[in-house]
Amino acid sequence: MKAHYLSAVAAIAFALVVTAALAQNRIGAGQMTNSLAAVSGDTRLDLTASQMRQAALDNIRNFPGNIPPRPLSFPQLENLAQFTVEVDFDFNSAVIKPSSYRTVGSIADALHNPILLGYGFLVIGHTDSVGGREYNIGLSQKRADAIVAALVDPFGVNPAVLQPVGLGEEQLRDPRHPTSGVNRRVQLINVGKKFCFGRTGEQFQCQ
Amino acid sequence: MRVGAIRQATLICVVLFFIGGIGAAAAQTMSYAEAISQLATACGRDVARYCRGIPLSGELKNCLDGHASVLSPVCAQTRATVYDSISRRAAAQRNIGDICEPDIERLCGTSHADAHLIECLKMTSPSAISARCNQAFLDSGWRTERAQQ
Repeated sequence: MKAHYLSAVAAIAFALVVTAALAQNRIGAGQMTNSLAAVSGDTRLDLTASQMRQAALDNIRNFPGNIPPRPLSFPQLENLAQFTVEVDFDFNSAVIKPSSYRTVGSIADALHNPILLGYGFLVIGHTDSVGGREYNIGLSQKRADAIVAALVDPFGVNPAVLQPVGLGEEQLRDPRHPTSGVNRRVQLINVGKKFCFGRTGEQFQCQ
Repeated sequence: MRVGAIRQATLICVVLFFIGGIGAAAAQTMSYAEAISQLATACGRDVARYCRGIPLSGELKNCLDGHASVLSPVCAQTRATVYDSISRRAAAQRNIGDICEPDIERLCGTSHADAHLIECLKMTSPSAISARCNQAFLDSGWRTERAQQ
């Protein structure tokens, strides 16, 4: 009798811990907006998406190995307003799982917040270390593309302000556990005011 | 006789209440997160069955539309509500500058859909703004949005 009672208590306690962990993992649109709005100035970013892709490929060539011996770094991006979320995809595929639909919807809510209108964003996909490094760059690029595609349709984000980039496993979040799920993630970075709006709402480049 | 009349009146009231409720529900749009998670909950099994491997982008809607006759009733119903809410919110957010231009250029000094416009609309009495503009503002979800800085 007592044992039953204890195991029930243990089960409830476990459920509470799991719920708390899930709640922590679920970052809402408000938090995302705040993270992206902490703009670090209107300095023009001196780094293009294709340069980032090239840097990831160069990192494989310069530092070969099963797991990147040296993580790729972009000091220019480190101080920019950003957040990171986990998005679940079908295995080895760029199809977002229904369990992550809400996360993508929250990103759309955040990007539509009026205070973020007109800013440009990098949408960076990262994988864990399962699979070849070059293959993972391609996979994470397709995943970043898929997130951008969903943000645009059905959620109506202006495609001109989104730039998808796949960095594969070249920037592991937890290099000591390279296959851990925490490495599979999407990073959004505010790269600054990209567009201004004219009197009738037409867009033009600010510079 | 009298009891019958009261009953009838009550019935009419209940019916009107429901119609009003439906009208009010249709006037609001959901956040994108709320809308799409309702779809995931109601249609998760149908997606796995009929639309496996189909991206969340526009193609998922097309796939669900294409299987409309075989979807579970709850998924079929939710799908319609969810996509209606998403497209109305997106259209309002995209077009609010144009829709509100005539009346707010004078009130707010801008017609661009920017943070300034949203703050100005929030401060302006709805009675001073056209019905179309009020509807777009409501649909955009920005009336209740906390524009943090």
